[in-house]
Amino acid sequence: MLMLPGDASYQEIEELREQLGFNDPLYVQYARFAIKAVQGDFGESLYYHVPVMELIIERLPASLELAVSAMIFALVLAIPLGILSAVKRGSMLDMGSMFGALLGISMPHFWLGIMMMLFFSIHLGWLPTSGRGTFAHLIMPAVSLGLSLMAMFARLTRSVMLEVLSLDYIRTARAKGLKEQVIIYKHALKNALIPLVTVAGMQFGFLIGGTVIIETVFAWPGLGRLVIQAIFGRDYPLVQGIVFVFSFIFVGINLLVDILYVYLDPQISYSEEK
Amino acid sequence: MKKQYLSILIGILLCLMMASPGFARDAKTLIVIQESEVVGLDLMRSSLQNTMSVCYNIHDTLFHPQEDASVKPALAEKWEQISDLAWRITLRKGIKFHNGEPVNAQAVKFSFDRIKSPEIKSPHKGKLSAFSEIVVIDDLTFEIKTTNSFAPGLYMLAIYLPIVPPDYIKEVGDTKFNTDPIGCGPYKLEKWIRGDSVILERFEGYYASKPYYEKVVFKTVPEASARVAALITEEADVVSGIPVHKRKSIEESGKAYLTSQMGVMPYIGLNTYEPPFDDVRVRQAINHAIDRELINKALFDGKAIICNGAISPRTFGSAPDLKPYAFDPEKAKALLTEAGHPNGIEVRLAYPTYMSQIQEQAEAIGANLAKAGIKVTLEPFERAVMWERYKGKKHQMYIYWWDDAPEPDRYMYSLFHSESRDYYYKNKSADMLLDLGRTILDRTDRAKVYNKLDHVLYEDCPWAYLYVIPEVFGVSNKVAYKGDRDGFLNMYWAKPKN
Amino acid sequence: MKSKDSKSKLIDDMFEDFLPNIHRAFEVLKDILKRPSAMAGGILLLLILLTSVLFPLVFHINPLDQDLMARFSPPVWQDGGTWKHILGTDNLGRDILSRLLYGSRVSLLVGFSAVLVASVAGIFLGLVSGYYGGKIDHFIMRIADVFMAYPFMLLTISVIAVLGPSIFNLIIVLGISDWVTYARTIRGSVLSIKTKEFVEASRAIGTPDLIIILRHVLPNVISPLIVLATLRVANIIIWESGLSFLGMGTPPPMPTWGRMLSEGREYITDAWWLVTIPGLAIMMTILSINLLGDGLRDALDPRLKNL
Repeated sequence: MLMLPGDASYQEIEELREQLGFNDPLYVQYARFAIKAVQGDFGESLYYHVPVMELIIERLPASLELAVSAMIFALVLAIPLGILSAVKRGSMLDMGSMFGALLGISMPHFWLGIMMMLFFSIHLGWLPTSGRGTFAHLIMPAVSLGLSLMAMFARLTRSVMLEVLSLDYIRTARAKGLKEQVIIYKHALKNALIPLVTVAGMQFGFLIGGTVIIETVFAWPGLGRLVIQAIFGRDYPLVQGIVFVFSFIFVGINLLVDILYVYLDPQISYSEEK
Repeated sequence: MKKQYLSILIGILLCLMMASPGFARDAKTLIVIQESEVVGLDLMRSSLQNTMSVCYNIHDTLFHPQEDASVKPALAEKWEQISDLAWRITLRKGIKFHNGEPVNAQAVKFSFDRIKSPEIKSPHKGKLSAFSEIVVIDDLTFEIKTTNSFAPGLYMLAIYLPIVPPDYIKEVGDTKFNTDPIGCGPYKLEKWIRGDSVILERFEGYYASKPYYEKVVFKTVPEASARVAALITEEADVVSGIPVHKRKSIEESGKAYLTSQMGVMPYIGLNTYEPPFDDVRVRQAINHAIDRELINKALFDGKAIICNGAISPRTFGSAPDLKPYAFDPEKAKALLTEAGHPNGIEVRLAYPTYMSQIQEQAEAIGANLAKAGIKVTLEPFERAVMWERYKGKKHQMYIYWWDDAPEPDRYMYSLFHSESRDYYYKNKSADMLLDLGRTILDRTDRAKVYNKLDHVLYEDCPWAYLYVIPEVFGVSNKVAYKGDRDGFLNMYWAKPKN
Repeated sequence: MKSKDSKSKLIDDMFEDFLPNIHRAFEVLKDILKRPSAMAGGILLLLILLTSVLFPLVFHINPLDQDLMARFSPPVWQDGGTWKHILGTDNLGRDILSRLLYGSRVSLLVGFSAVLVASVAGIFLGLVSGYYGGKIDHFIMRIADVFMAYPFMLLTISVIAVLGPSIFNLIIVLGISDWVTYARTIRGSVLSIKTKEFVEASRAIGTPDLIIILRHVLPNVISPLIVLATLRVANIIIWESGLSFLGMGTPPPMPTWGRMLSEGREYITDAWWLVTIPGLAIMMTILSINLLGDGLRDALDPRLKNL
């Protein structure tokens, strides 16, 4: 099925290569690509016969929706869990949730996705198996993509909170007789959030990479699935375009994190020291 | 501050979710799920099965192809053969495209010239290469000419020549036509959400009786289990790409039934230009070393049809008297020894990864061959790499497949005629028979030619023959639909059951 | 100072640095023994490693032997299971336990080797970059940025798509794409250490860079490095299974956990054990590594130790 072998003759493919300039030397191809790329023109997809940028703009929202949902899911659950674990350090809750978090980090997210699909869609019939549409469609992809992040954030929140809680000013606050809740939420959490936000920013890039497999598993119509199809189908202009966009997002977020990092942690400086 | 960010994020998320469509199910809407995405809606520009399926609902052709490779009237009302090299065809009166443009002889000529033109790069151009030109006689009548007499001509036109609106295309251009097509088929495009779904709406001005369903939604679900689940849970009405091992669960579900469509005919091509397969005895040894019966029983639930040669047993002209090569590792070894390989041979077997169940077939065949002293290294390739290596003559043994179309010329000419491709095999008498098969118009005589061809290839073994795996569509019990051997989903024929 | 002297002094110094390190290693080991979760992780990992190396001594089922008529035989505890195939058979009637065991070798080999490649490259570049700073630092960090900017998964997929899948290619590609993490971590540590008094003092009295690096810098950055490397093994194993899952892992018929998963996915509703068992194997391995890694971090990192 699909593209039947023999649907394009050798001659036709040669003509096509010639037309697309694949027979030019590499540096010529690269220069041509670079000049056009900065103008946002990545050419036409060999498969879809439409401009690459158009395809990317169509698919990007789906990927962002997935990544952002996974991130929100991770943060919303991880922060309270981490705080509780830190506050009730050594309790059953702490040990239970930290072991759970460890399990979460130890699972390949695509496997988790398949297992969830097996259980919630095929076995119980509660959630749609794949595709994008309603909120119900979003649940499994977002959870399977976000679970390991959540586990990671919960661990991070816990350790940062523990660290902060042992600092002098917290002790001072306690000595002053402030309520424990005020101490935790107003003073400790505020400080603990700083490294969390930094790491969350850095992990956003990882999320976008992670969509590649999860989108394939759940037939999520985003950039991740598109790029896999493009790589397998040797749709070079499309691959270039998507990689460019992914990298753009990556670099943007990384830059932000780097700036944030210097700003937040005065111990590290980027000035030259001799 | 932080709360603000969070609410902005949630806001964005909600907007995104609102923007994505959900589908209300009603009795007049048909939901079809296929395995791969639609890449364009210009039938002339795509050869992908799932994409073409959607296109056939929008576009129409001159004839309806039939299961025995004959044709019935569609846009064309009547036709006659006026010479060995020409047909005169008359269109139905008063047919219109979705935008009101008339379907006339000029539109047919425009369509023919368009599919032949180099700008379109139509993958179907080659299938129509025997046709030279269309001459318009009057508004409804035209003559279509061939360079040589071309027996399967009308059947090819029925499948590969969609009639498209000249004025609209001249106005919007080819790129826009691919995304916003206008046809004269039973459905018109309402909306294409790329990567998600194609929504079709009934064309009220269709020339024949109107299709039953007001709306047809084509969706994509790559995961086979998920497609089957969707059918059983009644999320979908018609589903394509149902793996063999899932068929029983559909039949037993009480929610849906199966209707057969085209068959997939995998084969192992052998590079006859290089040792060891330049020796016919080695090629025969391979054929004797494959346990087709066991593979059929284990991998296909016994539902496959064992091939007795290059022409599918379901195709017109196949030789019924040929017996499939028997599984006989000892005979294979003897043949290898005779050919000068007493210690067996080492070979590479390439296969494309995108075909369903291909990995297990390749591994099972590899294990079979090992029993006859043929050591196989498996080489899975992605689609494009497989194809590049194929035409670059880099394969030694390769698995590819074709659908077992009713018309033998549709695949035999492409695969075996040296004018078409001689990457791995060339045979003068096969060439001669293929040419003859194209030109003889009498069906009985034509059948004899293909019979003979089947015999020639059976002896010469350019392939290791395997089996035909009949494909099926899964259809909800609420819907009546019968699959065609061409394998396309034309929802015009779908009706509610009872 | 004569060159011969400086050389022998260098060796002396290294030796001098070596002893306390051994001592420290014992301390860490003792520390780990006191932590039940780290112990459990360590023992589990050791068991997995030993099994994956030694199983052919007692286990003799060939992972490639097909028995087509016995395909989808369930694990022994389920109806229809047999002791012949304890964990059942796959879609070609091959023994799953055997495939699991052979598959563990690929996963572990790729995991550990890729980390070795990545850490050696990362340590070297991170040390150079952090210690010397300036233009070299700038240059290395820009290269790191390029690597970071290119999504890790896409990088490996594209490279494998071009080079073709093989164990060697996997190790190299995964290793090369992962060096940045090490380089950045090391560089960060070096940056904060090189301003410390003892380093500055040492530099002031004219100690050669190499000795400063080996004597003062490296020992101080080795702890985060060991922790990082341990945890990265887990990540690499997951990525390898992901690549195999997409059909870009090691070529067939060699069994790997990722391929077992992706081949079993087609039969998810018919034979749950095909996807579940290799997934559990991956999870157990990763869990053991993570437990050990956590323990190591707590033992090695004095800052966290106090908590």
